[in-house]
Amino acid sequence: MPSILKVDCVTKNFAGLAALRQVTFDIEEGRVCGLIGPNGAGKTTLLSIIAGSVLPSSGSVIFRGKRIESGKSYQAVRAGIVRTHQIPRPFRSLSVLANVELGIHFGRSSNRDDSSNEAMEILEWVGIAHLAPAAASTLSVGNLKRMELARALATKPSLLLCDEVCSGLTESETASVLGLLRGIQKTGTTILYVEHNLKAIMSLCNPVVVMNHGQKLVEGSPEEVQSHPLVIEAYIGKKAA
Amino acid sequence: MKARQNISGSRKILSALGEVVLAVLTLLPLGNLSPNTIRLLFVTLVWVTVSVAWNLVGGFGGQISFGFAVFYGLGAYTAALAINGGINPVLSFVLAALVAMVASLLVGLPTFRLRGPYFAIATIGVSEAVRVLMTNFSLTGGASGYRIMEKGVFRQLDHYYAALILALLAVTVSIYIRRSGFGLALVAIREDEDAASDLGVNPFRAKLLAHAIAAALTGTAGGVYARYAAFIHPQGVFAFNIGVAILLMPIIGGVGTIWGPVIGAVVYGFVNEELVASFPQLHLLLYGTLLVLIVLFEPEGVVGLFRKGYPLLARIRRAHAVHS
Repeated sequence: MPSILKVDCVTKNFAGLAALRQVTFDIEEGRVCGLIGPNGAGKTTLLSIIAGSVLPSSGSVIFRGKRIESGKSYQAVRAGIVRTHQIPRPFRSLSVLANVELGIHFGRSSNRDDSSNEAMEILEWVGIAHLAPAAASTLSVGNLKRMELARALATKPSLLLCDEVCSGLTESETASVLGLLRGIQKTGTTILYVEHNLKAIMSLCNPVVVMNHGQKLVEGSPEEVQSHPLVIEAYIGKKAA
Repeated sequence: MKARQNISGSRKILSALGEVVLAVLTLLPLGNLSPNTIRLLFVTLVWVTVSVAWNLVGGFGGQISFGFAVFYGLGAYTAALAINGGINPVLSFVLAALVAMVASLLVGLPTFRLRGPYFAIATIGVSEAVRVLMTNFSLTGGASGYRIMEKGVFRQLDHYYAALILALLAVTVSIYIRRSGFGLALVAIREDEDAASDLGVNPFRAKLLAHAIAAALTGTAGGVYARYAAFIHPQGVFAFNIGVAILLMPIIGGVGTIWGPVIGAVVYGFVNEELVASFPQLHLLLYGTLLVLIVLFEPEGVVGLFRKGYPLLARIRRAHAVHS
């Protein structure tokens, strides 16, 4: 499979702090790539750079052969990259349906007229169609995460960036969201999945990229990554001498 | 669900009220109204237009601008110059809209790169700069003002209907925008600009477009007012007070709603008139106190009160039905 995304030597400095240092990896089309690492590893910063909302200090992000970084995420969305947020960011005064319709109206290169029917179909697929007329402010965390996913899917992405879509969910909710991600993958959408829940990552992703202190530590299959000494050290620490 | 029914019930009542008010406004001047009452209605309709226009940017889009006097004043002066130059009044109003629109782009291009209070402060700066500029602009008489000499007989009702048609246009534009994808984008920008961008909305462009439409309506309102007043001066049409009044009307009525700015403008038009007449020295203080009370106790304005009151009315009606 050809690679859909190339992250090439991406470095990001926030004033004196190096959040990312020379991060390089590729994602093949149609894969679910896991991105893990301890807190502060730079996962969300990397996601924001790929999503086009943050500019890298150096290096490049190439999507389908084109550099996408512009600091303007709406351009990345129209190119086919969309993200969900770690902490859901709903448009609270809008209905759930309108939240999803926005993605249909603005997230695609061509406009659709029957946005409300299509939005309902997406909401049905993620399992919250019954909440379509409700204001987004009334949703529980689990349903907000589903709405974020529905909103992102409404843009018909080629690459979906999921930022901890299972955090704060119960075990059954997590299983159901993972089922949705598997369904999304089956449609041919590539997914970059940032998650703390290792069980979720290991059951869904291949390859897995591990980051620590802003650098890529290891990249490989879930089994390789799990048993890699550097990964164990990053998560658990070194053996006392 | 119940709350939704209440909201849609109150919405139906408001739109029915709107139709009644429109019919009354159209037929009212045919009755035996005094010129002073028609003048008050005319001024109120001009306020309705600018209040609804501001709401597109400030209410739907959440961009609090203190600078709408710029568009109002530029519209007034453009129409004044055009009418004195022998151009037909309707065409003069179109010119006023165009000039205000161009000005909105000049103001918006730099200021929409700022957010929240920084944007608001920048609009104050622009507004004051334009006022000072116009005060010293000799072509239009500077601080002494500018007189409009229109040929023909003065017919108050012509002015009244011009203001009524413009106010209707403003409300129609507002309803259309709120129901469109563009309206959704504006509300999304108000709630979370970055999240809106993450869904493909270009916030800068949406804000500029809303600003341009609002400026065109405000500029036309300025033109309609100038033609009626026949004399304008920078301290009148470009005054900071005007910029603040334009912003406060939607807040009184219910910012971000369709009918709130209309109600706010009506309240402002009448209350302001009464306060100025009855307490010429104290009207600003009283007006300010009224605003503080509204913002403190009902931030959603008169429309918010109505929404809260509607369920109560429905309950009383149900209780009556049970008893009878």
